[in-house]
Formats: sequence, C-alpha cells, structure tokens
Amino acid sequence: MPMYQVKPICGGDIKIDLPTCMYKVPNIHAQQGKSCTPEHALQNGEVDPAVKALEARQDEIMRKLYELKAAVEGLAKTVMTPDADLDLTVSSSLSSQCSTTFKNTTDLDTVLGKDLGALRDIVINANPVQPPLTLLMLHSLLCQHYRVLSTVHVHSSVASVPPQLLSCLGPRHTDSYARHMFQLGFTLIWKDVPKPQMKFSIKNMCPIEGEGNIARFLFKLLAPYPSDPAVATLVDSWVDTAFFQLAEGSVKERSTVLRALNSTLGSNPWLAGPEFSLADVACYCCVLQSGSASSSPANVQRWIKSCENLGHFSHAKLLLK
Amino acid sequence: MTKEELQGATEEEQQAQSKKALKKQQKEAEKAAKKAEKQAKMASEQQSAEEDDFAKDRYGVSAMVQSQQKLGKQCFLVLRQQQFNVQALVAVGDRASKQMVKFAANITKESIVDVEATVRKVEQKIESCSQQDVELHVERIFVISQAEPRLPLQLEDAVRPDGEGEEEGRATVNQDTRLDNRVIDLRTTTSQAVFRLQSGVCQLFRDTLTKKGFVEIQTPKIISAASEGGANVFTVSYFKTSAFLAQSPQLYKQMCICADFDKVFCVGPVFRAEDSNTHRHLTEFVGLDIEMAFNYHYHEVIDSITDTMVQIFKGLRDNFQTEIQTVNKQFPSEPFKFLEPTLRLEYTEAVAMLREAGVEMGDEDDLSTPNEKLLGRLVKEKYDTDFYVLDKYPLAVRPFYTMPDPSNPKYSNSYDMFMRGEEILSGAQRVHDAQLLTERAIHHQIDLEKIKAYIDSFRYGAPPHGGGGIGLERVCMLYLGLHNVRQTSMFPRDPKRLTP
Repeated sequence: MPMYQVKPICGGDIKIDLPTCMYKVPNIHAQQGKSCTPEHALQNGEVDPAVKALEARQDEIMRKLYELKAAVEGLAKTVMTPDADLDLTVSSSLSSQCSTTFKNTTDLDTVLGKDLGALRDIVINANPVQPPLTLLMLHSLLCQHYRVLSTVHVHSSVASVPPQLLSCLGPRHTDSYARHMFQLGFTLIWKDVPKPQMKFSIKNMCPIEGEGNIARFLFKLLAPYPSDPAVATLVDSWVDTAFFQLAEGSVKERSTVLRALNSTLGSNPWLAGPEFSLADVACYCCVLQSGSASSSPANVQRWIKSCENLGHFSHAKLLLK
Repeated sequence: MTKEELQGATEEEQQAQSKKALKKQQKEAEKAAKKAEKQAKMASEQQSAEEDDFAKDRYGVSAMVQSQQKLGKQCFLVLRQQQFNVQALVAVGDRASKQMVKFAANITKESIVDVEATVRKVEQKIESCSQQDVELHVERIFVISQAEPRLPLQLEDAVRPDGEGEEEGRATVNQDTRLDNRVIDLRTTTSQAVFRLQSGVCQLFRDTLTKKGFVEIQTPKIISAASEGGANVFTVSYFKTSAFLAQSPQLYKQMCICADFDKVFCVGPVFRAEDSNTHRHLTEFVGLDIEMAFNYHYHEVIDSITDTMVQIFKGLRDNFQTEIQTVNKQFPSEPFKFLEPTLRLEYTEAVAMLREAGVEMGDEDDLSTPNEKLLGRLVKEKYDTDFYVLDKYPLAVRPFYTMPDPSNPKYSNSYDMFMRGEEILSGAQRVHDAQLLTERAIHHQIDLEKIKAYIDSFRYGAPPHGGGGIGLERVCMLYLGLHNVRQTSMFPRDPKRLTP
C-alpha cells in the first residue's frame, strides 16, 4: 500500500514542440529590402560587385575545368599515338608552343646556298587537274618552322582554276607587302604542265621534276635525312612506291602496296621505324588521293589515325573535298 | 567559103556580141551587198558535191585587186578586203568573152573593183589566200577607182617574212620605204591585224577601268612649265610668249585627285623631245595614264594597275587570236605569257638575281637597259612570265615627287612594270604633303618658282595617291613580239621623221 498519494500537477499528454532550428540568422534578401541605396543601384542596371566577383570566379573555374578536360583528352590520344608530344589540334586552342615533330633542324644556308640579302623564293609549277597534296602538306610544315611568304598564281596557259585551289596555301599574310621580312618564299603556279616542277636558282640548280623529288627537296629544308643509309634508303623506296604505285598504279598494284604497308606497320609505329619521316607524309597523301583510305587493312587505318592526330594533315583533307 | 573566112565571120559575130554584152553590163549598176567571206562560207555550205548543178548565188563584192595572172583564156585575180583575200577567176565562157578576160588582166594592181561572181568550191587548197577552200568565178567586173600602174612598193614583198626573202632571193621592203608610203603599207594584212589589235587594247583599257569605277579625263597638252625637267620638251610659240607641249599628264592627273575625283585615267598624246633614235622611242606617242587615291597601302594602286593589264592580256588572248596569228605569219614570236595575280618582286631580289648571274652592281644603282633585258630573261626562266612588277626602287634614282619608303630611307614606294624584259610603266606613290614635297624638291636642286603651282595644289587637302602610265605603241609591240615601235604606230614621229 502507498504511503501517500499526491494529485498529479499536470496531465500526461501535453504536446511539446521540439525545436528543429539550432540558431537563426537574419535573411540576406530581407536586408536588401530594408536599406534604400542598393535598391537604387539595382534599378540603374548596375550589378552588385559581390555578384560580379562571384561570376568571375565561376567563369575562371569553368575555364580551368575545360582546359583540364582538353589536356586529359590530349594525353589519352598520345597514349595511342606513338611519337607525338602533344595533340596539335588541341594544343593550338591552348596556344601553347608548337611541338618539334622533328628532332634535328637544318640550316637554310647549307641547303639553299648563301643568303644574297633577298627573299629566297621556291617556285613550284603544278597542274590544277592533279593538285600535289604532298607538297601542300610540306608547305604547312615549313610554315611552322620558318617565316614563309606563300603566294598562288594562275598561269595564262590555264583558263580558270576552282577557288579552293587558289586559297590552298592559307590566308594572305599580313606582312606580305614586305617580301624581305620573310626567310623563305613559296610560290605556287597553276600551269598546264605534265608533271609538277620546281625551280629555285636559275644559275646553280636545274629544275626538279616529279612530286617525289620535290618532296625530298622540301623535306630536307625541315630536317636532314636519317644518317643511317639503310633507313634513308627505306624512306626513299617508300616515297617512290607511294608516287609510282599508289598514286599512278593499277588497282592490283595499289592493293599490293596496301598489303605491304599493313605488314610494315604491324611491327613499327611509322613506316621507316620509330620516327616519323617523309615516307609517312608521302604514303598518307597518296593513300588519301587514291581514295582507298576507308577500305585499307587494320594497321593502315590505325596509322592513318596517328597521322591525322599529328595535326598537319587536316589541311590536306580539306583540300580533297 | 574557106575555113579562115568562116572563122573570121564567126569572130566578127562574136565581137559584135561581146560589145553588146559589155554595153549591157555597163548600163546596169551593181552594188556591193555583203562581205565576201561570209557569203563565201554560206554558199559553200549550201553546195552539194557536184559542182555543175547547183543554185547560183549572185552578189557584189567591193574589193581591191591585189594581183592578176593571165593564162591564155583565163585570168586569175586576187581580191582583198582588209585582212582577208580570195582568188577570183575570169574565164572565157558563156558569161565572159575574150575581151573581158583581157580587160581583167590589164586592170592595174590596187585598183578598186566591183565584181559579180559565183562562189565555187575548189578541190585543192589555195595556199596563197586567206580563204583557202573557195574561189570566185567572175561574171561581171567593173573598175571603180583605177590605181597608177607603177606602185612604189609591192604588197607581196611587204608581207613577206624577212627570212623567206633572204632564202629565196625575193625582195622584202625596208622600213623607211614602208613609212614613206604608209598608205599602201597599211593595206597589208599584217598591218591591218596590228592596228585592229591596238584598237582592242585601247578599248579593253577603257572598259576595264570604267568597270572599276574610274573616270576618264582629258588633260591639256599646251602647258606653261615643263613638268619633268626642261631638257626633253617641245616649245611652241603662244601668241606673244612661248609654251610647251606636255611631256606627260602627270601634273593634271594629280590635280584631279586633289579635286576629289578619287580614280581617273586619260588617253592622249604625249610629246617627248628626246633625241634618241632607238627601236622603242618616238617623239609623239599615245599615253594611257592612271592615277588613283588609296586607303591603306600603295600596293592597292599596284594591284589595280596589274589587274587592268591582266584583263587586257586576257581580252587579247581570247578575242584577237586571228589578228595575233596573222601577225605571227610575217613576224614569228613566242606567245605572250603572264601570271594572275601578277608577279611582284622587290628590287633587292632583282639585284640578288643579277649578281648571281654575274652582273656587278651596287645596291642603289639603277638598272641599265641590258640589265633589264637580262633580268627579264631570268624571270622568264624561273617564273615563266613575260609580265612582272619590280617594287621598291632606290630613292636616289627616282624623281623628286616620289614618296620615300617610311621604314627604309634608302628606298622608295615606287615600281616599274616590264613586258618581255622591256620597261613599259614607271609609277610610284606621290608625295601628297606640300611641306615634304618642298623638301624633296630642294634636295633635288629644282627651282621652286617653276613648280609653285604644282606644290600649291597639295596645300588644300590632298589624299595619298599613286599611279603610272603606259605607252600604247610600246605595249602592242611587246605583246606581239615585234622589234620596232614604228610598226605599231600608224604615222610615227621620231627625230628624223615628220611626214606623212
């Protein structure tokens, strides 16, 4: 039995509101409504500097994100493409320094002869019916290494030329009125000639005929031939194969060459071994011109992709269209 | 009757008949209707293979008799109209009598005749005429204007190429004889072709520039002060004083630009009193001059002028091939080649090319004529063009009104244009600032009083401008590959010739 009973003071079922908010802060937006001066500023169309700063920070972050994304993409491609320092199509948007695809550079004076104090102009005559893709490719490579003044002319022996052939060397340089400011001149003349022809020094050099030979001359301005005679001969033989059998040969010859390409590229990343050379330029252009790029074997397709990744070849592709 | 008597009787009858026939012919008047060549072509198309049985065309030809040859009962005539000639045959038959053949044979050369004939195809090509596949069989022939029997020069000789003349021992006509008898010499097919081409050049020049928005102006030729230096100017008496004949429209072209015409050109005579007896100098020639204001760089002027020249060359190449071939028959030459856009080299490059070829010259020396020719050959060898521009000449060799190069005081904004290695145009950006012009004039030791009016025209706002001028005769001569400018000037003037 209980000792004593007390009447309950309060009922057992009182509802208590437990607080959910730990602490309260005054509303920022409500504050703006109270003070007058910022409201006037908004009405004038000006933006609060704090907002501006925020936007700027946000833009900066987004830009860095994009750059990072591009860099990662580039790295991904280099993993698949041998011997390329950086994907040039992407790096051009980052405006970083252009990569040196060629390890050794040549001295212009040793190849072209003594500098006589004036522009050294290389003249190339080509038939508009068969544009020399290799030479245009080499021209864009030359433009990256030297200051080149490029001009295109139409000879009176040709009635007219399609407009993309007139602009094939790129837009006119802003300094083209002062010829002496350039190291090298590249003059392309569309003329009714049987084979592409190159003239440089009337006194000391005879004209060079044939796209392969002109390509060899222009390549030597970029980098010397490999010092190992075996490799050099290999490069030469691939260049000849490209121009005589790929470009001008019958269907059977072309398929033979494609098979040979396939087998070489199975063991090497590039045609002449571990380094990119003239052989790759010549064969790529001839494969593209013969139209068999899409129907070629697997190694050749991979090699074509690697070539395109290097960035110089996009120009050539545009010209084919 | 004996045979002879019979013959005599028939002959008399024939004579009476032919006299009547001649009278009949003389009564009726013929009018030359259409051109011989077009009719000939139409007629030969209509003809079938058989020659005797076809629809006869009747038409009149107004032509000159070039030559004739009598062979018994036939007489061959060569009839000529401007550039073309055709063989005509007068043969004894039912339309022509023996007397008519004799009459045709006695017509003097270069007479104007009126001929009614039928056109017939021939089996063998007639090599000596321009219309090689047809000949005319004459039914009526009248002389409208008789030429004197003795001609000062024979036209076959005038058209003969020099080499052929020497080989076969036949005569050719030398230049002085030609120029003394210019009226007959201009009748040759070659001369006709040359001057038609020259007319084409003038027309293409006007058309191209008008399309580009240029305005044609006429400048005065009697002027008060010599514009380019006092030595080479003709003096004329002008009422109580004397005046000069304009050496070039330079002064007035520039004044027009200062008068806000923006782009002008003018075609007119130019008088140079140079005592040079060379193959390319005349004392009076036709100048085609251009002057224009530019916006950013004087190369706009060069581009405009070279584009005009290229349009002229293209127009000649596409529309005047007949004339070019006709000239080439007597004066063979290489066809004219050019590049579009025109090749532009700098003076330093030209000096480098000449030095490479063994010529010794300083950096600021002017190009001598043999050097210009050599440079032309080198450029032809390397670029395969007969027309190019040489830019950035040294300042020291140009006139006082040439604008100096802002980046290099040794050179100037001036240019020369060459055709087949010979200079055809000398032009530059002009000094448009009166102050600078005065300084340059003092530097060249020119009397400022004499050019006061010239300097004054720049004091009231003048845009930067430039231009140049070409000689019509010289351009035609070089385009066709001829060797003497007198062949392209109708009535040339040089230190030794004032007539015709």
